Order: sequence, then C-alpha cells, then structure tokens
Amino acid sequence: MSPSPDETPPLFDISGLHYRYAGAQADALADLDLKVHEGEFVAVVGANGSGKSTLARLLGGLEKPAAARHALACGHDLLVEDGRMAARRDVGVLFQNPENQLVAQCVEDDVAFGLENLAWPAADIGRRVDEMLARFGLEDLRRREPHMLSGGQKQRTALAGVIAVPRRVLVLDEPTAMLDPVGRDEVLRAVREMRDEGLAIVYITQEMDEAAGADRVVALERGTQAYAGDAGGLFADAALVRRLGLGLPAAGELALALAEQGRGLRDLPLTMDELLVALGYAT
Amino acid sequence: MSGLEAIAGAAPDKPGGPGAAGSAGMSLAGEAVSFSYEEARAPVPALCDVSFELRAGGSLALMGASGSGKSTLLQVVRGLDAPESGAVLLDGADPSDPRYTALQREVGLVFQAPERQLFASTARDDVAFGPRRLGWPDEQVTSAVATALDLVGLPPARFAERHPYALSGGEQRRLALAGVLAMRPRLLLLDEPFVSLDPGTRRQLVGILERLKAAGVTLLLATHDVDLAWALCDEILVLGEGRVAAAGPWDFSTAGGRLLAANRLREPFFVELWRRLGRDTHRAPRTAAQAAQALR
Repeated sequence: MSPSPDETPPLFDISGLHYRYAGAQADALADLDLKVHEGEFVAVVGANGSGKSTLARLLGGLEKPAAARHALACGHDLLVEDGRMAARRDVGVLFQNPENQLVAQCVEDDVAFGLENLAWPAADIGRRVDEMLARFGLEDLRRREPHMLSGGQKQRTALAGVIAVPRRVLVLDEPTAMLDPVGRDEVLRAVREMRDEGLAIVYITQEMDEAAGADRVVALERGTQAYAGDAGGLFADAALVRRLGLGLPAAGELALALAEQGRGLRDLPLTMDELLVALGYAT
Repeated sequence: MSGLEAIAGAAPDKPGGPGAAGSAGMSLAGEAVSFSYEEARAPVPALCDVSFELRAGGSLALMGASGSGKSTLLQVVRGLDAPESGAVLLDGADPSDPRYTALQREVGLVFQAPERQLFASTARDDVAFGPRRLGWPDEQVTSAVATALDLVGLPPARFAERHPYALSGGEQRRLALAGVLAMRPRLLLLDEPFVSLDPGTRRQLVGILERLKAAGVTLLLATHDVDLAWALCDEILVLGEGRVAAAGPWDFSTAGGRLLAANRLREPFFVELWRRLGRDTHRAPRTAAQAAQALR
C-alpha cells in the first residue's frame, strides 16, 4: 500500500495557475488549483473548450504558465524553463490526438521510442515493449505503419508508448476516446493498476461513467475550477452538471428521469449495480 | 422546420441542383465489397466480401473492434476508395449506371474529428465550400449555408462571420457537420461523431441526427458507443476483421450477446438493465426517458 495522501508531498501541486493563448482575449486557465498525490486517480471533466487539454500541456511542462502562486510537477518548478524541461522528462503525457504522438516507422519502434531516448539496454527495451504490446493487444500489429492504423489502434499505440517509460505521474487526455467498449475497460483497468502501484494519474475524460470511477473529480468551467471533490458530490448537483455541459452516468440519467416522473430514488445511483439496489432488486 | 424540409429536399429542383433527387432518403447496399490498403511490406486487407442493406430513410449502426474496417467501409461507400471487387449500390444503382455519379454527390461523409479540416476564415465560407464546388448558384449556396448552420444550432446571425478557430471544440464539430449537411445529403455517413464531445454537445448532436432521421435522411453511423447506437439506429452491422460478423436487427439473445462480446462490444446499458430485471430485452427502452416511463 502507498502511504496515505496526506503524508507525502503531492506530485502535482498547483495553486493560482493562469494561462492565456497568444492573441486570446480571456484566460484559458484562471486561478486554478490542483493537488494530486501518489496513488491518486483524479478525473478532469468539463465542456469542450473549458481548458482541460491546456491543463494537460501545462502539467507536462509543454507550456509556460502566465502566472501562478506555485506550480510544481514531481517537485519541478513549472514557472522556470529548467523545471519545465525536467517535467517533460518525468511527466508522461498522452495527447488527445494520438497522431501528434506517433513518430516511428512501425508500431514496436513507436512504443520503444521513449525507452531508446533514455538509453535503456536493447534487451530491456525488447522485454518492456513486448509487455506493452501484450497489455494493449498490439502484438499482431507490431510491424505495421502507425499512420495506416485505425483510430483506436493509434490510440493504443500512443498509450503503450507513454506507459512503457516508468514514471511517477501520468496525464492522460481522453485515453479511451477512440476505443471499443472492451478496449475502454482494459485501459481503465490499467489505470487503476498503475494507481495502486503508487502513480499519480490525471485523467481527462468526457465519459461520465469513467469519471465516476475516479478517486476524485475536478470540473473545469471556462478555465476555472467549478467543482473538486468526489464524483457523487458532482453528480448529485444536477443543475451544476447541466450548467457545465456535462451529464450523468446512464444509471444517474435514469434516476433523474424517474424523479421527473414522480418516482424519486433515495440515493443517486452511478452504476448498474447501484441502480438495481435503488430500484429494490438485490444484485 | 423549414431547414429540415430543405435538407430533406422537399422541393425538387432542376436536375443536378440541390434537392434534385426528391424528398426520400437514399437506399444503400454493399455487394461483396472487398478492399485492401497498400503498405510497404504487403497489402493489408481491410474489407472482405462485405454485404449489407440499408433501406431508404433507415438508420444503421456500424460497429466492431478498433481496426475492424468501419472507417474504410464509409470511405468506400462515399466513393473515396474504389472497391477491389464487389460494388456499392446507391438507390439500387451500381457504378455502371449513368446516374451513379450524381447519386454519389448526395452521399455526405462526416470524417473522424472533422473539425481538423476546417480551413476557411469564416464559418460561412467553410460551410459554403461544398455547395460552391458543386457549382450551385449563389442564392442557393446562401440559403443552403443558412439552413445548415441553423440546423446544427449555430444561427448564422451569431456565427456566420466567426473564425472557425475561435469556436469551441463542440461548435467546430457542429460547423464541420453543417459543411456536409449544406450539400443536402440523402445518405449521411458519420465516422465516430461523438468522440471527444462533452455530454451536453453529444445531446445536441443526438437531437440533430434525430431530426435528420425524421426528415427521411438515411443514416450510417460508425461508433463505439453502444448506448448512442442503440438510441439512434434501427439496425446494426458488426464488422470483425473486415468481414460481416452480423447484419440486421439488434439481437440480444444469448448468441447475440456472445457475438457482441466476440467483437469487443457490449450490450447497451438499458438492454442489460432489462435483462437483469428479468424483462424482455427486445422491448428494452432506447433512452432514459423511455426507461423511466416503463419503470415509473
């Protein structure tokens, strides 16, 4: 077991973060706070354009904050160039568009790319790449050209390349967007395993059932934090959920629809099992 | 409703012009369609003997694991790639039919992440690109653009002069859709249209597609989202490694469930709920509102 979150310094420790794109009239991120400890899986949700992907780039040291009270990633100061360079090495970032991440001539070379940059011995790289290809069901595609793959295959290749490099923190920007339902479950399982191994994971998603499975949820609204806390607290506030352009997991949407028709359930269910219990059926 | 009537082509026009083919959606059939991609090492087969039917005005969910051939099939149906063998029939016409080129122009394809292809400096010009390229007269282009922008919830008065890059991601996705709808397709192909949209924008897009369906437009929807596929589509076509694994009405029998699982899919949420409640899965609700009505 990892130590309880309060005993160790957070791996992301962000306070009062601002960022504005060149020429933009408003901040893309404004006065944002975020703490993520080791062994924590934090989901970031919000409408299109609320600043989620911008946050991912800042956490990975790829952009310079306009201002912050403090902004630390793995102890590196994101306000200074050296700190951002160090964060780029230590923070694994999966971008929303996997095509921006695929660089090699074939899938296995792409997965090996980060390890080669770290100058791992060839045999170790080979073992690690095999492990990643197996984990993401890519063995049969290892010699294929990445640009010829389907959207979901590209996404799995990019994810395998990010996860191949051992790190303490990951920022994943919609890692399951292009995946089939089983592929989604596989990625979520991998994320939970890594969380249990002590990684800090920032997980950007538009899938409300994925957010419901995170340890904590942060909701962004036009670059500011509109909610931070457990998923149940967010989804219980139906007016806030609608204002943020979000929704509920299917079980919750059904509970809302039932309430509108005069059959309110005592607890808001977020999963199938919780829904069956709330409807009075044992599971 | 005027926008919908225009898009459904309620007022037939002169031949070759917008709405020329009349009000009905277009029927589609694949007859043993095969296609391979050329890669440096060897051709990679993507579609193999794919046969299916989609009636005019119907809606078909195109599903299957990542890499099963869904996007390829949409490109072949749109005519961007020619099948190596077999044929795509549009309104029953095969490629040797003199009407075929005109029919192909009435097939609209919304690519994956279509907002990446926005290029003009105003929303209006981006949407007008397709109709202009079809050689439509100016006044028809203008009305088609206004209708399409209205339909996707980007009223021209507020959005026509905006720079596409200044729109939010959800607005960009809807703008790209408007660019396809402006050409008044009778068959609309959509490749993962819900990916990366926030839930609120997804609800809007579902509403837009429901209105297109009600207007008679035929829909072929490639998606991994079984819940939205179930909410929107009458029938399902499952591809597995480029072959048809299942085609026809949704099947939630034990065998149907096994087939979904074998293709890395799962039952829709409300179907699973009905099964676990001991109810008839083939009468399962498609939306939360329908489910609540039944459980009230």
